[in-house]
Amino acid sequence: MIGVITAWSSVYLSMGRVKHPGPGFLPFGLALCLITLSLVLIFKSWKGNTPSTPFWPQRTWLRPLLGVSIFILYALVIQRLGFLLSTLLFLVIWMKLIERVRWRTLIGVSIATTAGLYFIFVFFLEVPLPKGFLKW
Amino acid sequence: MNEILEMFQGLANGFGIAFSLTNLTFALIGALLGTIVGILPGLGPAATISLLLPLSFKISSPVTSIIMMAGIFYGAMYGGSTTSILVNIPGEAASVVTCIDGYQMALKGRAGPALGVAAIGSFIAGTIGIIGLTFVAPPLAEFALKFGPPEYFALTLLGLLMATLLGGSSIIKGLIVVVLGLLLGSVGLDPISGAVRFTWGFFMLQEGVDFVTLAMGMFGIGEILINLEKKLTTELVTQKITHLWPTLKDWAESKWAMLRGSLIGFFIGILPGGGAVISSLVSYAVEKKVSKHPEEFGKGAIQGVAGPESANNSAASASFIPLLTLGIPGNASIAMIFAALLIQGVQPGPFLITEHPDVFWGVVASMYIGNAMLLVLNLPMVGMWVQLLRVPYAILAPVIVLFCCVGVYSVRNTVFDIWVMGIFGVIGYLFRKVDLEPGPLILAFVLGPILERSLRQALLLSAGSPFIFFKRPISGTIMGFLLIFIAFQILARFRRRRRL
Repeated sequence: MIGVITAWSSVYLSMGRVKHPGPGFLPFGLALCLITLSLVLIFKSWKGNTPSTPFWPQRTWLRPLLGVSIFILYALVIQRLGFLLSTLLFLVIWMKLIERVRWRTLIGVSIATTAGLYFIFVFFLEVPLPKGFLKW
Repeated sequence: MNEILEMFQGLANGFGIAFSLTNLTFALIGALLGTIVGILPGLGPAATISLLLPLSFKISSPVTSIIMMAGIFYGAMYGGSTTSILVNIPGEAASVVTCIDGYQMALKGRAGPALGVAAIGSFIAGTIGIIGLTFVAPPLAEFALKFGPPEYFALTLLGLLMATLLGGSSIIKGLIVVVLGLLLGSVGLDPISGAVRFTWGFFMLQEGVDFVTLAMGMFGIGEILINLEKKLTTELVTQKITHLWPTLKDWAESKWAMLRGSLIGFFIGILPGGGAVISSLVSYAVEKKVSKHPEEFGKGAIQGVAGPESANNSAASASFIPLLTLGIPGNASIAMIFAALLIQGVQPGPFLITEHPDVFWGVVASMYIGNAMLLVLNLPMVGMWVQLLRVPYAILAPVIVLFCCVGVYSVRNTVFDIWVMGIFGVIGYLFRKVDLEPGPLILAFVLGPILERSLRQALLLSAGSPFIFFKRPISGTIMGFLLIFIAFQILARFRRRRRL
């Protein structure tokens, strides 16, 4: 807990020192505020000696991490595979890897969602979604 | 006299706009979506409105898109009670206290009256709130025309500080969030001199951090990620819901609670930083104090459902007042609507009513209609919505994440924005992990430019003397109120510590 906040404030400490003439007036003041506040918070949590609870008890980090990884994968492939294919893959992988959805529901939901999104964005809102090597 | 006539004329025009087929449809969509997100735990109105922000680029008329978003906001206040009563999990934050007595009522087989009273109370309070909005907003906007930069600075400061102090558990953490939000808001071109700030050489950042991306990341993705940690299981108390319409006895017991709740909600809703969550807590406390049988609270007292559920609805309606008259949003959901207005090229503020009367009156009129729609949606059809709770989160989560991705992509057609949203999503997740509230951040981000501009203009006016904020009567009053408020908060904290 303490470590997170320390790391946090230090990242913003270095940012706080950037001072621009004129337009930097408010940001500089804010940075000063932030530094003081972080110091107070660190001091309080250090003095309070709160029994540190584990940040992620019992592998709870696993599912959010998986979620983020699948998200990154999606952002990487969407331009190459096109919207339809990568969206289908996203849904199948997410529901199989993070949750244990039955295959029947999974396939139904995946196809329905992809079709629904395609309908809303391409037909209704006319957004040019990325097309992949298959041209759809 | 003339002004009152003008108001009625405006309202009549507004109804004309709101009754057009498109606007009715979008009001219905908003009310439906609001009910759904209200019922579903783990997805709040702020997150939902953020999901729909990209769509507001595509809807050409500002009235229509705001009508829909407003519908989501107050619709969620209706739906939230259903989950609180039947499952003992608040469907959204403003229904936390409804769990206490609502769930007890359901356990005793009185789920029907509880749901009925909540819906009717919501309708009455919502309508009272809108009537208040109709009559308070125009004169307030006229008054606000006199405001100069010092007044705006004082008001924004007040709004920000109250949002932090009333919202979170820790003052320091709240203030850190606000400062971070203000700093994020200052990324990009400086509004006065045009100098480039904090872009670290990224050309994409020159326009500033995009609000839509930030909001969708912090709220949409962040909320999904934190919910992935928990297993959300929902177990319904009763399968069959009967006697929705309250009996005469229930009615007699709860009507004053509804009325008190409405008034409490309205006045708390107007305050910057106030809003639905706090108003429902206050209303519960008041009901308990007023009641002749306080020992029944916590064991299924109907007033404990009627009061808070009314309060959160009238607060939701009232929180449109500062947005539409001063241009200062008071909570995260309203901040999203503020951003949507800006996207549509409508500047919320004291000129809104005179320059865009169609927007103001159209939205107000649609709120009357929307409330009536919600009463119908929530009373006879509540059984259908309850089925929604059976939709597992396992299916909902990936669909929402995808909707965010495609939505954010559709705004500027770049994958870059998907990346930025992902980063904000992870930040939003970590925020929730370390107990920092993302709401004030969004608020500060939106208010930042207003705050900075008014501060610097005011200082130019006074040739650098900070006393300008205290010398002018209106800003002086606000600053005085602010100081008293801060002193009061500090005193309260000290007293609480001594008691521990």
